Amino acid sequence: MGYVPVKGGTEAIDASIKRLKYERLKGNETIEIQTIMSTMRGMIDQVMSESSLYSPFLAAIAIKQAEGSMEEAVFLMRAHRSTLPRPYYSKTVEPETMLVERRISASFKDIPGGQLLGATYDYTHRLLDFDLINESSESIQRWLQNYQTELQKVDAFDEVKYFPKVVDYLREEGLFENYEGNNTAPKDITKQSLQFPSTRSERLQVMTRGQTGAVTSLGYASLRGYGQVHPTVGEVRVGAVPIYVGHPNEMEHDIEDDFYIGDIKVTEVESFVPTQVKNANNEYELQFEIGYGICYGQNETKAIAMSILDQCLEHPEADFPTHDEEFVLLHIDSVESTGFISHLKLPHYVTFQSKLDSVRQVKKEVQEVEN
Amino acid sequence: MKRRRRTEILIQENGQLAKKLSATIIDAYECKEISEPQYGLTMIKMRESAKKSLFYIGEVLITEAKVEINNCIGIGIVVGMEEELAKQLAIIDAAYKAELPETITWRGQLIEAEKQNTKERAKKQAELFKTKVSFETMEV
Repeated sequence: MGYVPVKGGTEAIDASIKRLKYERLKGNETIEIQTIMSTMRGMIDQVMSESSLYSPFLAAIAIKQAEGSMEEAVFLMRAHRSTLPRPYYSKTVEPETMLVERRISASFKDIPGGQLLGATYDYTHRLLDFDLINESSESIQRWLQNYQTELQKVDAFDEVKYFPKVVDYLREEGLFENYEGNNTAPKDITKQSLQFPSTRSERLQVMTRGQTGAVTSLGYASLRGYGQVHPTVGEVRVGAVPIYVGHPNEMEHDIEDDFYIGDIKVTEVESFVPTQVKNANNEYELQFEIGYGICYGQNETKAIAMSILDQCLEHPEADFPTHDEEFVLLHIDSVESTGFISHLKLPHYVTFQSKLDSVRQVKKEVQEVEN
Repeated sequence: MKRRRRTEILIQENGQLAKKLSATIIDAYECKEISEPQYGLTMIKMRESAKKSLFYIGEVLITEAKVEINNCIGIGIVVGMEEELAKQLAIIDAAYKAELPETITWRGQLIEAEKQNTKERAKKQAELFKTKVSFETMEV
C-alpha cells in the first residue's frame, strides 16, 4: 500500500505551534538558563546521558524549550548534535583517573581509601520541604555563607588523592579474573548501524545512552526473575574524568603533546555477580564476574541497572528476555522508542480505512451466511 | 613546557592566565585567525573496568579555534562553549610552536598557577572528606 499525500493542515499547524509557545509563556514567567543549570542537576545529567551529548548548557536550553519534557529535550539534543562536526576522538579515558566526589561499596565496609558519601539523596527523608516555597536569595546567601565558614576550617590535603578500584584488590587476591588491557578499536553505533550479534563496545554504547527508565526497568526485571543476574554492588563512584585529544596533524605522537580539553562528570559502577564455571576437573565452582555500568552525570540507578544488563548480555545463552541483546538494545533508546510510539498518533487514514474495509467486508459476509 | 601540562594548567585555572599570556602575544605579533572559534564534538573513548575493553561513552561539546603566528599554527580546544578561551589557547599554542621568546618567561607563571590549581583541588577534596564514613562495629 502506498502513502497518499494530503494537504490543508498548514494553517492549523502554524496555529498549533503558536499555541505551544503560548502554553510555555502564558504564566508570564520565565526561567533563566543559568537557573536551570544551577538547580536542575539531575534533569540536566539525565538529558545529557540519554542524548549522548555532554553539555550542561545545551541540556538546559533543551529543558527550557521542551518545558521539562525529558523525551522532547533529549530529541532536541540529538537533533542538535547531528548538526555539529566531530573533529576529534579522545584518547582513551582510563577510569582510575577519576577525581572522585562520591564512592561507596555495598560489598565491603572497609574499602581502601574509605567510603565517601558525597552528595546523595540516599539518606534524606522523602518529605516535601514546604520551606522551599519561600526560599529567598537572602536565605540562600546566608546558608552558603555558613557552610563556607564551616568548610574554611577544613585543612587542605597536601595533594589530590586518586582512589584505587575496589575490584583491583580482589583481582590481586585472585578472586576475579584479571584481564589485560584490550585495545581493539571500539565500534561506533552513531556511524554504523547496530548488527547482531553485537560487540561489547556496541552494547556498552547503546546502554550508556539508553533511556533511564527503560534501562532501570529491564535491570529490575532481571532481578525479579526475568533474568539470571542478581549482583552485589562492588563500587559506585561519581566524579570527574579528564579528557585528552591528540594533535590532528603532528606526526610524532608524544603523550605529553596531547591537548587536555576539560573534565566530564560520570557515574561508574562495578557489580559483582556470582557465576558457576567449570574448572580443569570439569567440576562446577563458584566465581565472580563483573557487570559494568557508566553514564554521564550523576545517575546511580541507571548505572547500576546498566551493570546488571551488561552482565545479562554477556551470557546470552540464558533463556530470559533480559539476556536477549536484540530485546534489550533495540528498545532502550529514548529517541527510537518515543519516536516510534509517537508516530502512531500521526495520520494513518489510508491504513486504517483499509482495515475498516476488511472488517466491514467480513461482517457483511457473516451476515449474508446467517441470513 | 609541553602541551598536555600547559593546557591542564590553563583550563583548570579560571581563564585569567590564558587571557594574560595571549594578550602579550597579540600586542607583539601578527596573529592570523585561521579558523574562528567554532563548536564541534569530541567522541569520548573509555576503557571499562570489567574486561578492560574500549567503548565510546558519547560526545562532548567543544569549542575549537586555530591561529597562525610566524607560519606556525596553534590550536585551542576546550570543553563547552568557550570562544574566548579557545582563541587564547590557540594563540598560546601557536606561540609555543613558533618558539617565541615570551614562552620561556611563562614557565614560572604556569608552574605557580599549577600549584594553585592543585591546592584548590586538594582543598575541595578535603572538604568532601567530611562525608567519609567512619564505621564502628556495634556489639549485639
